[in-house]
Amino acid sequence: MSWDILSGYTGYVSFGHPALIGVAGYTTAMLTYHLGMPLYASIPLAVLAALGVGMLFFFPALRLRGNYFCLLTLAWLIVIHCLVIAIRPDLTGGTRGLPNLPYVVTGAVPNFYLSFGIVFLVAVGLRYLAKSDIGAVLNAIRLDEDAVSASGLSTLRFKLLAFTLSAVTAGIGGAFYVHYMGAIAPEGVFSVTFLLTIIIAALVGGQNSIIGPMIGAYFLTFLLESLRVYIAGTPRFLLYSAVALALYVWKVRGFYGIIEDMANWHRKRRKAEEHV
Amino acid sequence: MSKLLEAKGLTKSFGRLLAVKNLSFHVEEGESLGLIGPNGSGKTTFFNLIMGSLKQDSGEVFFREKEISKLPIHERVKKGIARTYQIPRPFAEMTVSENIHISTIQDKILESMRRRADSEVEGKIAESVGLKERISMYPHELSMGDLRRLELAKVLATERKIALLDEIFAGLTVAEIAQISELIRRKRDEGLTFIIVSHDLRALAPLVDRVVVICFGELIAEGPYQEIVNDEKVRQAYLGH
Repeated sequence: MSWDILSGYTGYVSFGHPALIGVAGYTTAMLTYHLGMPLYASIPLAVLAALGVGMLFFFPALRLRGNYFCLLTLAWLIVIHCLVIAIRPDLTGGTRGLPNLPYVVTGAVPNFYLSFGIVFLVAVGLRYLAKSDIGAVLNAIRLDEDAVSASGLSTLRFKLLAFTLSAVTAGIGGAFYVHYMGAIAPEGVFSVTFLLTIIIAALVGGQNSIIGPMIGAYFLTFLLESLRVYIAGTPRFLLYSAVALALYVWKVRGFYGIIEDMANWHRKRRKAEEHV
Repeated sequence: MSKLLEAKGLTKSFGRLLAVKNLSFHVEEGESLGLIGPNGSGKTTFFNLIMGSLKQDSGEVFFREKEISKLPIHERVKKGIARTYQIPRPFAEMTVSENIHISTIQDKILESMRRRADSEVEGKIAESVGLKERISMYPHELSMGDLRRLELAKVLATERKIALLDEIFAGLTVAEIAQISELIRRKRDEGLTFIIVSHDLRALAPLVDRVVVICFGELIAEGPYQEIVNDEKVRQAYLGH
């Protein structure tokens, strides 16, 4: 959803989202690990850190367009990854990361409900904005940014809003993820695999819808975990990728597109029945 | 009448090509000005300089006697200038109504957070340009005439003081030209100021109070339409003799 509100809506495809998630994750990890800060304080600070670092690194990139924006965000991801490993490994844990972090709740079921609750609240908020004029302008930016400016709208202002929403959402996700896992390592959050998982979830679920990426994320997670029983090791990623690719080829708008089609079919049927 | 928009010594070059050369003229409030010239004479470049899509090498643009040369596009639009494009640029995945709606949105985040209530405003604007029947259609379903109407609708939706119309009659049938001319005339009577670029001089003639002619980026003549079409320099530029 974080990727969708920026990239799915404005068309500014970001390859740097793991950096935002990682910054939030490392912030709360370091605050709790080194200072013993309680989670209710460290998590909001982590979200602010994601926003602050995001502004510092991504804001200049918002002046670029197309491939240049993608490449710059990818470069920022690599830079932040390297900085976390190289600068003050005594604080970040270097390549090993930080273990034994506190949990928000323990147990699979409570964690599921917690994550679902957070995802649901974020989805409602983002969906509301996406359905407002803000969503309309962000969509228009994706279609023709110059024509939006010619309508008297500051595209930079709206892109900045999309980025802020995106960074805050990524920050919330990153901070809670670390305290679900109980540990953080650079390879886990800054890897290309993680980046691709975010983008594939958005595409399979249906970008430009907010709800779609949420469905995509649940689908991919359940698929990957259920395959674990039958296929050991990394080959299951191959099957997982094949399923995701087939789904995307079949329906470009992803699961959300299927839901939309079903809703349209139902609406038409109801209208036809009313005529009869 | 007071000066609404004024260009002073505008110059723009692309590499060695001088597209606009020391161009100065103004349009008064409520006036309708024709801007003509042969292909490649710099008319669209001039529009781009006025809107801020291009940065001039030298010269200034004034709106109501205040300099706007350094303002970004959206700020110039908010001051009161709106434009159409020579090649229509609708938002491809949006309906006519949604396209018009974008131009009605305020450039304020908090106000933009509201949900769209109804499409009454869009409907009225669409009706005024003759697109009422096609309000739910997508741009790919529209004819060139309808696309030009949509461009005009987007300009009207911004509720600005001056409209820059770039080749508004290009690719239209005689009937479509008549309909759009009537609309421009009506809006002019309501007080909207126009600068109209057109190759169709016959369509332009009844709509404009004054004509400015540019050739190779330079102003070569300025005055009432009848004077201009009989001007030796203008005939030379257009006909080559």
